[in-house]
Amino acid sequence: MAKSLGIFVTSPDSMDHVIGVTKAAKAKGSKVKVFFTWKATTLSKDPRFPGLCELADDVAICVDSYVKQGFSVDDVPEGLEPKKMATQAQHGIIIEDYDCYLSL
Amino acid sequence: MEYKKVCLMYRHEDYALDGIRSALGLAVENMYAYGVVLDKEMEKLNELNLESIEMLRDMEGDVYSTVPANVEKNGFEAINIEELGEKLREMTHIIPYGIK
Amino acid sequence: MKVLNVYRSEPDATVQKLVEIVTRDREADTFDLAVKSPDYDALVEKIFSADQTICWW
Repeated sequence: MAKSLGIFVTSPDSMDHVIGVTKAAKAKGSKVKVFFTWKATTLSKDPRFPGLCELADDVAICVDSYVKQGFSVDDVPEGLEPKKMATQAQHGIIIEDYDCYLSL
Repeated sequence: MEYKKVCLMYRHEDYALDGIRSALGLAVENMYAYGVVLDKEMEKLNELNLESIEMLRDMEGDVYSTVPANVEKNGFEAINIEELGEKLREMTHIIPYGIK
Repeated sequence: MKVLNVYRSEPDATVQKLVEIVTRDREADTFDLAVKSPDYDALVEKIFSADQTICWW
């Protein structure tokens, strides 16, 4: 069985890599969770973000960071479940519960 | 249970404070979490941020810097590159955070 | 312990020094992300076969 992969996204220029790695890992049967924080939460407005939410098993963003980037808490990014606008605990889940870890 | 040891490193002034917050978030989740400010001199931190760092230290984490001015102004622990490298060897997770 | 170092740009002196210490007496592999079309399939294979992945700036 393929290993699971957690991706912690901190750089706003990472969308190509996030999608490329997620696609490749899913093609191998891996379970993939992606968590965006700080300035990388702006990637939730990337036109490819809804597709990423469908592709990955779990996508979450740091809501505190999102608000600090100037967005409203009520402005749920397309494709994202409202409950996935969450806290840094999502990063903890990636570290504790996933076999492999990648920061981007 | 073996506790995770995580080190986040920051090389851009716009990312350091939030990165420290991210370390605190992991400490709250029962991990050993450390932040290291490389290269950049930070402004003097406000009370709230200094309190966050105190909380991190209370949970056996810490914030280090290779920049003497950060050590003097904000009470970060001094560290050089060689010492940081040795510290990274003990980590389960190493996170170059944000952009440089 | 097998360490995978992923580079998002040409590693400078600081990164080179840290990598040298972290990988001392350990098995190490590298992947260059700073190319036009990275082979993400190969990257994922490397991540799966490593004990630790570090994605440098």
